[in-house]
Amino acid sequence: MSDFPDTWRKPPFIRNTLLRRGLWLAILAYVVFTMATLPIDWERVSAGMGRAARIFSGAFPPSFARADLLIDGFMESLKIALLATVAGVALSIPIAFCAARNIAPRPVYYLGRATIIIARSFHPVIVAIIFVKAVGFGPFAGVLTLTVYSIGFVAKLLAERIEEIDFGQVEAMRSAGAPFFSTLIYAIAPQILARQVGLSIYQLDSNLRASAVVGLVGAGGIGATLANAFGRYDYDFALAITMVIVGVILVSEAVSGIIREKLA
Amino acid sequence: MLKIEKLVKRYNGGDPVLKDLDLEVGGQEVVSIIGSSGAGKSTLLRCINRLVEPTSGTITLNGTDLTQLKKSELRLARRRIGMVFQSFNLVDRLTVMENVQSGRLGYISTWAALTRRYPKEDIRRAYELMERVGIAHYANKRADELSGGERQRVGVVRALMQQPEILLADEPTASLDPKTSEQIMALLRDLANELELPVIINIHNVTEAKQYTDRIVGMRYGRIIFDDVPDALDAAAMDEIYAGVPAEDRAAQGAAA
Repeated sequence: MSDFPDTWRKPPFIRNTLLRRGLWLAILAYVVFTMATLPIDWERVSAGMGRAARIFSGAFPPSFARADLLIDGFMESLKIALLATVAGVALSIPIAFCAARNIAPRPVYYLGRATIIIARSFHPVIVAIIFVKAVGFGPFAGVLTLTVYSIGFVAKLLAERIEEIDFGQVEAMRSAGAPFFSTLIYAIAPQILARQVGLSIYQLDSNLRASAVVGLVGAGGIGATLANAFGRYDYDFALAITMVIVGVILVSEAVSGIIREKLA
Repeated sequence: MLKIEKLVKRYNGGDPVLKDLDLEVGGQEVVSIIGSSGAGKSTLLRCINRLVEPTSGTITLNGTDLTQLKKSELRLARRRIGMVFQSFNLVDRLTVMENVQSGRLGYISTWAALTRRYPKEDIRRAYELMERVGIAHYANKRADELSGGERQRVGVVRALMQQPEILLADEPTASLDPKTSEQIMALLRDLANELELPVIINIHNVTEAKQYTDRIVGMRYGRIIFDDVPDALDAAAMDEIYAGVPAEDRAAQGAAA
């Protein structure tokens, strides 16, 4: 046999041994430092456990006595989610085209990307607080919030899909002298349509979920109903609402999953 | 008549890919351009319809200097130049008819394109051309359901829908099997005669170039070093066109300069 080595190890991701070990040490040190300095009051934690137990015991059995309020809240959430999805998707399409590196001129591209980054950088709850201040309590603030949320998600993923298209089809239209919008309609739209429909359905599902959260800060829907129930110490009604939210989200996720699978 | 004079193309200030290139193509002749990869065949073809922007030189098509056109004028000029692509570049998710009609996008309004309200004479012409190349029965099929040879026929019909004054084919048969490849070459040759259209074909297959075209242009590293009838392409000329690799040519020129 030859004298070739018979062992081989994958080279480490960070070649420099000193740097690699130093990095591990630094991470460890920081975690220890964090645990030591964050003010965690263990007495309050143990007292809180008791309170949590009281809330949970108060929540059983869940009360569906005010089912009409529950249904009203849900219908409102559904309307908020639907309106926000339609508005968000409609706005996302032009923004996505602006934010696609391969078709937008440089300045437009930066503008499009900036719009998406701004829409994404705040959690819907923070956006909701701003809109509740701006337009008052109620579902309209919820619609505005989730529209922004939809733009952040749909426009970003759609722009990424546009950047992945087969550019040869665009070249074919250009070489035939097609004007700009005709090129978009014939060469790009067919390539992104399936993703667009999938994203819209996913976003509707996601907006329904988020509408429950933004309702907690006053933006209408089932979240507002839930916040009121908590405010009045109606823990049994709150549990009923929570259970229905979980149920509806499970159903909507299953439905949107089936539809998206059919589209793929 | 297409007339190319002193055409130069550099990518990002690097070495020129096309060097002072002159070429004239007219009538209804079928011209093939051969040369090894990197010789500049594709760049030359793409400079003609300005999918690639020429650095300097002029390209004149029936009296219009294509290199001087502004964006809107270029769009109108491109309608007069048909192009067939190596990877077909069909829109897979659209029907064959929509793909064929996309050759007319430069003529119809965006609204008509969006609503698929194609002019009657365009639809008639589409059926006529599809019948001619044998794909009329596929009009309502999605483009991705067709085989390679059929897809390239759609590509050819799309280009012809433009009623072009010249047809450019960038390695139209490179993605096809040998038999289909010959059929497409024969089709291009026959259509050039029927429609009295000059055709320029970039091609790797020298046997097909000799068999199906009237004139062969040999390129080597950005220059035309052979331009004659197919019979004149002998072993010595072949050696000269295909000898060496572009990288070595580049090195040799660097040393000389």
